[in-house]
Amino acid sequence: MLPRRILQFLIIYCLFIGTLMLVKYGLRLSDYVIPAPAAIFQTLLAEYRQYTLATMNTLTVAVVGQVLSVILAFAIGIVGRRSTWFGSFIKVAAYNIQAYPIVALAPILFILLGDGFLTRLLIAAMICYFPVLLSVLGIMSKPVEDIEHFYRATGKMRWQLEVKIRAFENLSQLTTVISGSATLAMAGTIVAEFIAADAGIGYSIRIALYQSDLGKIVIALFLIGITIAAYQGLLELLGSAVKRAWTGNALS
Amino acid sequence: MSLICDSIGFTYPDAALPLFSNVSFRLPAPGFHAFFGPSGVGKTSLARIITGGIGRFSGTVTSAGLRTLLYSYNTERLPGWSSVGRHLERVIPPSQHRRLAELVEIFGLADCIGSRFNRLSMGQRNRVNLIRYLLQDCDLLIMDESLANVDELTREKIILAVKALFPERYFIYISHNVTEVARFCDAILVFRSADKAPQTVMVQGGNLRDGESLSRSALDATLLEIMNAA
Repeated sequence: MLPRRILQFLIIYCLFIGTLMLVKYGLRLSDYVIPAPAAIFQTLLAEYRQYTLATMNTLTVAVVGQVLSVILAFAIGIVGRRSTWFGSFIKVAAYNIQAYPIVALAPILFILLGDGFLTRLLIAAMICYFPVLLSVLGIMSKPVEDIEHFYRATGKMRWQLEVKIRAFENLSQLTTVISGSATLAMAGTIVAEFIAADAGIGYSIRIALYQSDLGKIVIALFLIGITIAAYQGLLELLGSAVKRAWTGNALS
Repeated sequence: MSLICDSIGFTYPDAALPLFSNVSFRLPAPGFHAFFGPSGVGKTSLARIITGGIGRFSGTVTSAGLRTLLYSYNTERLPGWSSVGRHLERVIPPSQHRRLAELVEIFGLADCIGSRFNRLSMGQRNRVNLIRYLLQDCDLLIMDESLANVDELTREKIILAVKALFPERYFIYISHNVTEVARFCDAILVFRSADKAPQTVMVQGGNLRDGESLSRSALDATLLEIMNAA
């Protein structure tokens, strides 16, 4: 799983660099616009340490933001699964709010909270929160009738059991949603850093943009891509381990 | 104790014609009774009306002295996160655990009690599901195709054991096996197609118990009566 993810990214990245070079040499663009491969390699050697640290900084914020949003999405999803007025309100609110571009709210957060860790964390969490919430709401609102019937008929159904049954029956979907939300969390953090932070790889990209240094941006993209691929691969491995432990290989 | 259904009618919300109407019958005593008829005539719907699963119907259901009415069906599943044995122990009251062991033996499930539900055959799944319902505190249990995919000899053994072990309980067995229904069931409510009136006819079955035998002529007479009614 993990090697496959990384290999997929490397193939896509090589295609991207190849296309970039085709454009450069096809249109005879100067090294100032698109640096030559040797110059990109020189930039890699010069910047890899600082950019790796910046990417790890971004990843840390993204992971914390993702964990927070997943916890919150499960809490709200579990409360909102019922066909009550409150449940319907939560569903309608979630569908409406997720349609609003969170990035547009980012300036408000920067004005109120400054450009530190908390703002980046909030934006990362908000961007990956709604897709997870909608999936959790969908899963938790749908009864698994052929399993739940017995517990309802005999009066043994408790909300914890209901949640457990629905989570178990949709385990593959839940693990896919959670590993998929990693990309959103990372994207959210980078966007926040790009707008107005003072740390992280998004901030480094902004500096590189001001310097019109495409080489640095290409290196940053490589580090972002490989980090997301590794993180998603690890999440998928974790998801498989949870599935194996819970189902006794039943779903694998 | 008695179960009385009076002028029961039911129409699906999106249907123009009723599924059935004016169905009336009375089960005055506990026993192993049956609903019999072709697919789609409303056996399951009536079963769900009796147990409260369907609320919008006409007529009245009076279950005098019957506190708990349960409906079980053959495609039910147990959660897959632990073995069926563990699940049964958790959902069956401790006072019934000795009987659980007895039923596991009779139902031929001793070898698969440590397996997870999705590893069982269809017949084993249905037997496991039936055991957990049998050991609940209830006065009436509807068994909707609960022994589907179980071989004939085991089915016979199970039905006779159920009748012997739970003589004080009402059972309504829904099956498409006319011989089985005719041999083992007491009162048989035969469903007829919607264009016939009345839509149901009550037939007295052989009500065979453990150690008894049913003559060929008596069985043939019951079979004939059921087929004529349908």
